[in-house]
Amino acid sequence: MSAAEVEPSTRAYHQPLGAGWWMRKGHYFWYVVREFTALPLAAWLLWLLVEIQRAGGKADQYSPHASTAFVIFSVVCLLFALYHSVTFLSLAGVIIHLRIFERPVSSRLIVLSQFGLWAVASAVIAFVLIWFAR
Amino acid sequence: MAGARESRLSEKRVILKATRFDPDRDEAPRLQTYDIPFADESMVVLDALNYIKAHVDGSLTYRWSCRMGICGSCGMMVNGTPKLSCSAFLRDYWPRPIVVEPLNNFPIIRDLVIDMDDFMHKLKSVKPWIIRKQELPLGAGEHRQMTHQIDEFKQFSQCINCMLCYAACPVYALNNEFLGPAAIALGRRYNLDSRDEGLKQRLPVIASSEGIWECSFVGECSVVCPKGVDPAKAIQQTKLDTTMRFLLPYGNRD
Repeated sequence: MSAAEVEPSTRAYHQPLGAGWWMRKGHYFWYVVREFTALPLAAWLLWLLVEIQRAGGKADQYSPHASTAFVIFSVVCLLFALYHSVTFLSLAGVIIHLRIFERPVSSRLIVLSQFGLWAVASAVIAFVLIWFAR
Repeated sequence: MAGARESRLSEKRVILKATRFDPDRDEAPRLQTYDIPFADESMVVLDALNYIKAHVDGSLTYRWSCRMGICGSCGMMVNGTPKLSCSAFLRDYWPRPIVVEPLNNFPIIRDLVIDMDDFMHKLKSVKPWIIRKQELPLGAGEHRQMTHQIDEFKQFSQCINCMLCYAACPVYALNNEFLGPAAIALGRRYNLDSRDEGLKQRLPVIASSEGIWECSFVGECSVVCPKGVDPAKAIQQTKLDTTMRFLLPYGNRD
């Protein structure tokens, strides 16, 4: 037996990931959806900047974009924003570890406080927008 | 009565498809089908593999040791999910065929055996041991800890280095420079230990771009962890701690 035959092989097979890896599990799929929600949100915010710039001109010449397609696009963006926000705020219970009087605060309470703050912030912003629109 | 039940069980069969790969002969892995007796309701996938090795095909190669979910040696993909084969009961899959493959995201050396060198290097890089600035002599006594101090890190100390979390992590699959879930969880385990003083030695590795910041929180590592370690939690908490160290005055403590 030659030396080459007795030497152990070092050739390992590298497993390809495959383009469809994110379809293998529901968990992977929703992760990819969550990551991609940022794209339509970014597009909508860019559009908002355009609208703000247009609103800076003469008031009588300004007309906000209100086509059916844009309304549908905005509603889809809102759903994406809600999904992204819920996943982000739900993480708070995992990430934040607080102790009050030497006792750990429960994850559920932390998550609820985050959603509460979100609701308050949304209400304040809605109030300000409606106030200025009157 | 018991005899009749045993007789029925011994007639039961299970189809197990296992990856075979001989690096000297095969270009790529293939699945080989085995039809074996499902002799006992308590049989796990590892028992089935041991049966094949003992009675059908002695060349089938795989790692195992303790057979009780402690050593972390027998991690494999069972029907596409990373599992400890000693904890995957055949009854949970039967009568469907069971496909047993090597852990995803690692090079295959032979059959069900993967090359774990990458993980071992990464594990060592986070220095998963207690570091003291100055070692005390044994005569100075033990380093005492209160229960609440142990509670800080106990969950992360349960890691058995089985690498299921790496097999489940698409971030590691896409970029194998990523430090990975188990190494970061174990780094955090020691960083949270009141006896340890090695935080500043570990942070350059853990808080690097290939460390915690590469993770985009898929969360599957925590789903597949057989010991409930929750590596995703360790990573996200370390992100927050590291950010606070950067932002807060006097945050860059030892």
